[in-house]
Amino acid sequence: MPRIKIDHNKCTGCRHCEIACSINHSGVANPRRARIRVFQEGNVFFPVIAGPFVDAACTSKLDIKIGDQVYDMCLLCRASCPQKPFFIEAETGFPLKCDFCGIPPNPSCVRWCNSGALELIDD
Amino acid sequence: MYGCTGRCLRVNLSAGKHSIEDINPELLRKFLGGRGLGVKVYSDEVDPKTDPLGPENKLIFVSGPLVGTGAITGASCNVVTKSALSGTIACAKTRGHFGAELKFAGFDMIIVEGKAESPVILSILDDKISLQPALESWGRTTSETEAVFKKNLADKWAARDTYLISIGPAGEKLVPLANIVNDSFLSVGGAGIGAVMGSKNLKAIAIKGSHSLAIADSARFVRVVTNLINKLNSAPLTSHSMSAWGSAFFIDLCYQKGMLPHKNFQGAAFTELTELKDIGTKALSNAFAMRSSGCFACPIACLKKTEVNNPFFKGKGMAPTYWAIGALGLNCGVSDLSTIGMANMICAEMGLDPIAAGGTVATAMELVEKGIADRDTLKLELRFGQGEDLLHALTLMATKKGHAKRIGKGGQALAGEHGTSKSFMGVKGLPMAPFDPRSIQGMGLHFATCNFGPHHLYAYTFIEEVLGVHEKSDPLSTDGKPELVKRYQDLAAVLDSLGLCNWPLMGVKFNNIVPMINSCLGTDYKADDLMKIGERIWNLEKLFNMKVGFDHTHDTLPGRFLNEPITDGPAKGQISKLDEMLPGYYELRGWNEKGEPRGDTLQALGLKR
Repeated sequence: MPRIKIDHNKCTGCRHCEIACSINHSGVANPRRARIRVFQEGNVFFPVIAGPFVDAACTSKLDIKIGDQVYDMCLLCRASCPQKPFFIEAETGFPLKCDFCGIPPNPSCVRWCNSGALELIDD
Repeated sequence: MYGCTGRCLRVNLSAGKHSIEDINPELLRKFLGGRGLGVKVYSDEVDPKTDPLGPENKLIFVSGPLVGTGAITGASCNVVTKSALSGTIACAKTRGHFGAELKFAGFDMIIVEGKAESPVILSILDDKISLQPALESWGRTTSETEAVFKKNLADKWAARDTYLISIGPAGEKLVPLANIVNDSFLSVGGAGIGAVMGSKNLKAIAIKGSHSLAIADSARFVRVVTNLINKLNSAPLTSHSMSAWGSAFFIDLCYQKGMLPHKNFQGAAFTELTELKDIGTKALSNAFAMRSSGCFACPIACLKKTEVNNPFFKGKGMAPTYWAIGALGLNCGVSDLSTIGMANMICAEMGLDPIAAGGTVATAMELVEKGIADRDTLKLELRFGQGEDLLHALTLMATKKGHAKRIGKGGQALAGEHGTSKSFMGVKGLPMAPFDPRSIQGMGLHFATCNFGPHHLYAYTFIEEVLGVHEKSDPLSTDGKPELVKRYQDLAAVLDSLGLCNWPLMGVKFNNIVPMINSCLGTDYKADDLMKIGERIWNLEKLFNMKVGFDHTHDTLPGRFLNEPITDGPAKGQISKLDEMLPGYYELRGWNEKGEPRGDTLQALGLKR
């Protein structure tokens, strides 16, 4: 099944993927309407792709340890959830979810990512 | 209107009021936006004779029409005002994400007027525009300012999407060498604007928004941008060199061609003085753990973030770029990369311009070396090659502590006070960017004629003269240099006005970028039309400078470059042949021998004196 592999070590935080996504899905440039967002924590960037919608916040709050850094699970979570204001279409309130831009080859975000952080793999 | 938002926010700090205005579409057609629009509005609204630090001066932040649309490298917001250091019009370019966020907030332009009674932060968060007291962040460094502001935001998720542009302690104390820093580690190019922001008691602008930008032909735009990304990815300079080391990879090239300054341009940095293994790209990779960071929508990602931890400075910042290594390092005789890196970070934290600060320290060091000034008159120890002296001077200069007030006024004032203005290496009051004009003639001509002082970014002839990307041009010859300089000056004006960076030119031709502009803006420009707009902007800036009182006598280089040949290195024996090139340049621009635009030139460009 094709999926997008994220290598946060390669991400430069340029947010070109956000714009690629929003242009492809809504025809306008607006990161808040994108189904992929890039979050920064220290010097590291984390691209997060919108996942399934959940109608309530979860109760399991976890911390994720990568190397010697501890990250908030909520930041890396893909869900479109009431707990955080991302992956929700502002005007309509509809949740957003990545649809791989229809059928592969390359979703628009992967096509515009020049750093190699996003990659389409099939396994 | 495509690309642009067409709205302008006017903030009057004296009254504490703001208003939202529409931007005249005619101006956007004539000046594109960005730098062109900013300069036009500024020169229409502000008296050229105004005091840069007075409340009548205005400060304009303006993003180009391509910023935020996803056009490659469309990220820069231009800051237009009158420079406190030189008195010329100043236009500096931010990188990072601030420019794009300004567009998403729904504005192309912010005009700041007047002076606040007490320090304030202008906050534009999701259409809520307010002036907040900056008591907590006043006196703090730029990264602390950002941290404090974000900490005070109730919504921690909103804080993640908020971007700041701020001044450090140097700007607050009205040090003329100060500049503005955005995203807490990126100095915007060009000195003398930080003090203007400080004089208005404006500590920072915080911005976040969720407006959409319309694109004329999004299907074609996506195709063109994808194509450009692939082109950049296959060009060696943009896909490898710039991505690996940022502009610091120029060091090796400039070293081989004898362009690096040494000890206030007294010599070229070469073998017996400095070895390439100490300052080259290999040394840089060894000295810093560098992590690539890109400006908004940039496939090149030349910014290198790093961490430093030692007694002088602790924190995150940017690994030294070419300008930092040249101006703060080699020009002060310092060739230790970790010291240079620290000096660069101190500049970003304190809000000092690295090129101007480096040039000023180098001038002071030369005065000391020649015995004209000494430790007692400067109240500061300054010796060539001493890293601690440099770091100490930078910190004191920024905070105006101790007795560093005098050197904080800039190299020209300092050299003037000691009666040796020829020791100051700069044009129109601004210190030179670290290229020796004797060994790169075209850049020399640009330095002499640039409206903003000797700054490389306003005509990147380096791309042809050294890198030879599109056409080979011998840096030591004067053949065709007036044409090259004029073309690149106009081109830089166009790119700045659109909000693009110079770096894509290392991988693609300007002609390749034009379809991106047209598909995004819904226009029908040819490359020549855009170059004409660039020329119009350049002449408009020239007219402003003429009204301030700058004339052809200011279009020159320091005597050292015109009379004293380089003493060592590959370019040994060279002097700047400015006199050969300048008449040809004026002729090409349609200016008279006094460097004033002729009536017919202005008429053809649709400008009035």
